[in-house]
Amino acid sequence: MDKKQILEDGLLEQYLLGELPHDQEILIQKVLDQDDDLKNIFNDIEEEFERIAFENAINPPEKVKKALIRELESSKENIKIRNINVPQKRNTLYSGRLAVAASMAAIFALSSFWLYNRWQASEQNLNSLQEQTIALQERLMLLEQNIEVTTQRYMTINSRNVIPLLLKGNQTLPESRAVAYVNHETKSVLVNSQGLPPLEEDKTYQMWADVDGVMINMGLLPADSDLIPVKYIDKAESFNITIEPAGGNDHPTVENLISNVLL
Amino acid sequence: MAVDPKDTQFINQLLNGDKNALYLLYDKYSSALYGVILRMCGDEGIAQDLLQESFIKIWQNIGSYNSQKGKFYTWAYRIAKNTTLNFLRKSSPLIQTDDLSVYENKNPEAEIKDYSDLNGILAELEPQHQTAINLVYFKGLTHQEAHKEMNVPLGSFKSYIRQGLLKLRERRSELLMIVLLINVCGHG
Repeated sequence: MDKKQILEDGLLEQYLLGELPHDQEILIQKVLDQDDDLKNIFNDIEEEFERIAFENAINPPEKVKKALIRELESSKENIKIRNINVPQKRNTLYSGRLAVAASMAAIFALSSFWLYNRWQASEQNLNSLQEQTIALQERLMLLEQNIEVTTQRYMTINSRNVIPLLLKGNQTLPESRAVAYVNHETKSVLVNSQGLPPLEEDKTYQMWADVDGVMINMGLLPADSDLIPVKYIDKAESFNITIEPAGGNDHPTVENLISNVLL
Repeated sequence: MAVDPKDTQFINQLLNGDKNALYLLYDKYSSALYGVILRMCGDEGIAQDLLQESFIKIWQNIGSYNSQKGKFYTWAYRIAKNTTLNFLRKSSPLIQTDDLSVYENKNPEAEIKDYSDLNGILAELEPQHQTAINLVYFKGLTHQEAHKEMNVPLGSFKSYIRQGLLKLRERRSELLMIVLLINVCGHG
C-alpha cells in the first residue's frame, strides 16, 4: 500500500477515528512508524481534528464533574454511572419499588409458610380423624354386635317360657350367687355368673346337670360374666356348680360343690 | 505524535492512581468531548451521563492508552464516541446496520433542540466540506455511513474530508499571517 493510496483513500482520517479494521489499523500504524512524511501529515490531521473539537466545545455543567468526583471518591470498585440529573428520583423510585417487591415477596413467603404449616396440620388432623373414624366404626360394629347379642339374650331371658333359677352359695361358699335361665321350649340355658367370687388361676367353676343321679357336664362358668350359654340337658333334675381344676373335669368333685338348685 | 508534555505528566500520574490527574484532564478536555457527545445524542441530560461514563472509562482504561499511537484527545474521543454509540444502539431499536450506527431514525427530541451548529473556522468552510467533517467528527458516522447520508459517492466524500481539512489548515495559516502582520504593524 503506497503513500498516495493511503492519502487518497482517506485511511489516515479513518485511522484517526478508529474506523479501520484491526489488520488495516496495524498496517497503517506500521507505515506511520516507517514513513516520517506520512507521519507528519497524520500529525497535522490529528492536530486539526483536536482544534476543531476545541472550537466546537460546549461546557458541561459543573454537576457532571461533581458527580464524577463523587463517584470515584465514594467507590474504589464497581463504579457505576448514576444519572446526574435525576439521581434521587430514580433511586427513590427504584428503591421504593424494590422495597415494595421485597415486602410482597416476604409476605408471600410468610403466608406460603403459614399455609404450608396449616396444610400439614390439617393433613395430620385429617389422618387422625380418619383413624378415629375407623376406630369408632369398629367400636360401633362391636357395640352393634354386643347389643344384638344382649338383645337376643334379653329376649331370651324375658321370654315367658324362661324359668330363672337362683343358684345360691352353700356353706362352702355362702356369698356366691348365680342365676340360670332355662327355656325348655328352645332347649337353652343361660347363666349369669357375676355373683361368683373370682378363683385362683388353676381353678374354674363348672356346671352340672343331675339326671337320674348322674352328673352330666353342662360347661365351664367363668367368674364375673353375664349370660353364659351352657348345654341344655334333657330331664335334668337339678343344676349344680362345683369348683374344678382349670380346664374342667370329667366328673364333679362333690366335696367342692358350692351351689345347687332343683328344677 | 506531538503529545502535550502536561498531558504526559497527567497520564503518568493517572497510571499511578492519582484521581486528581483525571480531574485536571477533565478540566482540559471535557468541553471538547461534551461538544461531540451532545451533537451525537442531542440530549443534554443523556450527554452529561455519557460524559461522566466516558471519564470513568478513561480512569479505568488509562493503561491501554499508547501515546505513540496518538494524542490523548484522540484516544479519549474514541472512548466518548463509542460510549455514545453504544447508548444510542441500546436505546434505539430501529438502528440496524452492519457496522453499528445509521441515523436514519434520529431521536425526535434531538431534532427539537439543534446542537449541530458548528463554530470556528469549520463554520466558514463550504457546505459540503463542513457537512462531511461534521458527520464523521461530530456525529460519529463512519466514512461508509456518512457518504450515504450525504448521498454522494464514497470517493467524493473522502475528497470532501481531505479538501476540507486542507482548507482549514490554509485558513489557519492565513489567520496566523494576519495576526503576525497586525503584530508587526503594531510594533512598527
